[in-house]
Amino acid sequence: MTERDFDVQAFARDINELLVLSTLQDGPKHGYQIGLDVESSSNGLFRFRHGTLYPILHRLEDEGLIRGSWSGDGGRRRKAYSLTATGERHLRGETNRVQEIVSRLMQLLQGPGEVRA
Amino acid sequence: MSARAEGAFTGVLRDVERQLALPIPDRIRILRELEYDLEALSGRFLAEGLSPEDAIRRALEALVPDSRSLGELGRLHAPLYRRMTGHLSAHRLRLFERCALVGITALVLVAQASTLVRADLLRNPSPFLLPVLGSGALLLGMVLAKGFQLWVKGDHTDPSRGLRPILAGSGAVLALGIGGVIVDLYRLAAVLERSPEQAGILTPDWLVRDSALLSVAIILALAGGLAWLVFSHWVSLVSGARLDLLGPNPRVRPFDGRNRVQ
Repeated sequence: MTERDFDVQAFARDINELLVLSTLQDGPKHGYQIGLDVESSSNGLFRFRHGTLYPILHRLEDEGLIRGSWSGDGGRRRKAYSLTATGERHLRGETNRVQEIVSRLMQLLQGPGEVRA
Repeated sequence: MSARAEGAFTGVLRDVERQLALPIPDRIRILRELEYDLEALSGRFLAEGLSPEDAIRRALEALVPDSRSLGELGRLHAPLYRRMTGHLSAHRLRLFERCALVGITALVLVAQASTLVRADLLRNPSPFLLPVLGSGALLLGMVLAKGFQLWVKGDHTDPSRGLRPILAGSGAVLALGIGGVIVDLYRLAAVLERSPEQAGILTPDWLVRDSALLSVAIILALAGGLAWLVFSHWVSLVSGARLDLLGPNPRVRPFDGRNRVQ
């Protein structure tokens, strides 16, 4: 695992971000589609409610991990998001990190004898 | 916006807007995105066989940001100036802004004054030149304050406030300049009536002095008028986009310092 301190809240936030990034691997999507896809692909385990999706999307866009683009005419504009190359790299790196954290957690849960220093 | 959306979501969008203490263009972008997603998601639920009421309720539940999400959106989209000054109390911020405005206005005035001195406009000036320059300085202060409010601070609670005084100030500067030229002309005529032999000396002198006065007045008035035009055009653009999205008469939450994004 990485040397930095483990923060549960930050980890939960990272998981949400990774869910959004992984959903966008299929191609550009609108915000509501991202929410629906995350929910259906996790069989309802992960669900964005009360607009929690928007701060995640806008933060990822701000960090350059996804790109938002507007389409449609004047009054009927809609925004779709797509994964950037930086976002793809980030997703790969963070997936490995999450895998490592989860495997450590599983070791902990299975018994103290199996935890390695 | 479709008729269905106007009935179902406009009120919700207005509620969300009232809770977003952000510049109008940022608010519009967030609301447009939300509007489309609400319509599309409720349409999807309808297609899956839900009743219209349930489809709308579920879409609202999933997508309309709660106060925590709105706070996060507010922080993410806060203008750089607000993020940099977020740690200051409202009183200190007001003091800082006033000092900065006075300082910048003074700097611009010093630069302008040195230009006037170099151009030899202050040698034997019309008695109306200083009032014209004073009004111009006031006008400059108003223009800087408005530009700061709209584009640096991003305080758009009442974007059109302060535009008329800029236009009126521009008109006043021009009127003062023209009035000064007319009064100077009468005074010259009175002197020449008494001693016509001085016409060869006084008339060119008057021409130089009052053409300088008129030029300065016209330049200042044009600059103020141009600033007014740019501000008005921008305000009407963003207000139009907001009205298009939210319908007529969306109430505006007064900016009282407490709705500032911390």
